Amino acid sequence: MKNRPLSPHIQIYKWHISSLVSISHRITGIINFFAITLICFWFAFMLLGETNYQIIKNFLETFLGKFILIGITWSFSFQMLSEIRHLIMDYGYGFELKTTKVTGLFVIFGSIILTILIYFLGRGFV
Amino acid sequence: MVQISLPKNSEVKKGKYFEDKTGSKNLRKINVYRWDPTTEENPRIDTYEVDMDNCPSKVLDILNKIKNEIDPTLAYRRSCAHGVCGSCAMNMGGKNGLACTTSHSEIEGDIDIYPLPHLKVKKDLIGDLDGLYKQYQSIEPWLKNNSTKQTNEIYQSKDDRAKLDGAYECIMCACCSTSCPSYWWNGDKYLGPAVLLQAYRWIIDSRDEDRKQRLKKVADELKLYRCHTILNCTSACPKGLNPAKAIAEIKKMLATANV
Repeated sequence: MKNRPLSPHIQIYKWHISSLVSISHRITGIINFFAITLICFWFAFMLLGETNYQIIKNFLETFLGKFILIGITWSFSFQMLSEIRHLIMDYGYGFELKTTKVTGLFVIFGSIILTILIYFLGRGFV
Repeated sequence: MVQISLPKNSEVKKGKYFEDKTGSKNLRKINVYRWDPTTEENPRIDTYEVDMDNCPSKVLDILNKIKNEIDPTLAYRRSCAHGVCGSCAMNMGGKNGLACTTSHSEIEGDIDIYPLPHLKVKKDLIGDLDGLYKQYQSIEPWLKNNSTKQTNEIYQSKDDRAKLDGAYECIMCACCSTSCPSYWWNGDKYLGPAVLLQAYRWIIDSRDEDRKQRLKKVADELKLYRCHTILNCTSACPKGLNPAKAIAEIKKMLATANV
């Protein structure tokens, strides 16, 4: 009887919007932790003068640098909106299945729209 | 701890294939998780072709049909067949529910049937729920009244009674707790949605005199706060209850009350 198997769990369980938002909230949280470190380095390089600042500026202008910047913008947007959703839930609202679906979709699409908006703001298009 | 992959002895292998013998044209493939405790073998997925023309509407009817007509060795729990007893809780089409209230027409394609997730399997679709029952016992799910001389009934206003709606209907089928990733990773310490909903049911009962103690007991980093509002519980509940909201209410009480 010792050798009882464990029934399958995450391998078979269907994903839905709330579980997706929840796991993404964690992942973006970890990304943001590293992102803040990167931003700290950025500031430190700024303080060290123009030539040093140029190094990180050159890096951020490469394709990888731009990808990282846009990625960070998205993960910050996602975290912020998801955190607001959590705040409302902490007050005990928004637990009905339909509402969680709507707020979850709002977080997912809102974070993408926010990223695009911030991108254009930074480029001076708005 | 988070353990994404299954242990070696739990990896699911391909099993037998039972071809249809009725000659029906309306067939459906049913994939069922099987494990036989008398052998040393790993669990397997057996596939049955079932004649849907002569099968009533629920998933439990399919299982009964398989057991009666195709393979009598299949083991699963069932009793009332009306969504009242909670025996036939299992994972169908990737979602937990009661086999007797889940229509097979809700599931697209082949129907995958597994036991409730992340439990020690006793046989086939039967999971071991002892841990959950022990946790249920730990919240002392009975009315506590300190007066020893109380002999007549304790009155409750209509408003106070209404607070129990959505909490007392729970049938302890364990669909919610076994759908919760937090409960999968920390099931030994985290109480899980089913037990916390019952804890809430006794905390808000106006006749109970042990409210403060109950709140104190449940106020624990692991017992309560492992809920991260993933909401698998609420979407799995076959009775349409909302354990996630009950847990949020307990958290709110602890944040606002002086316990």
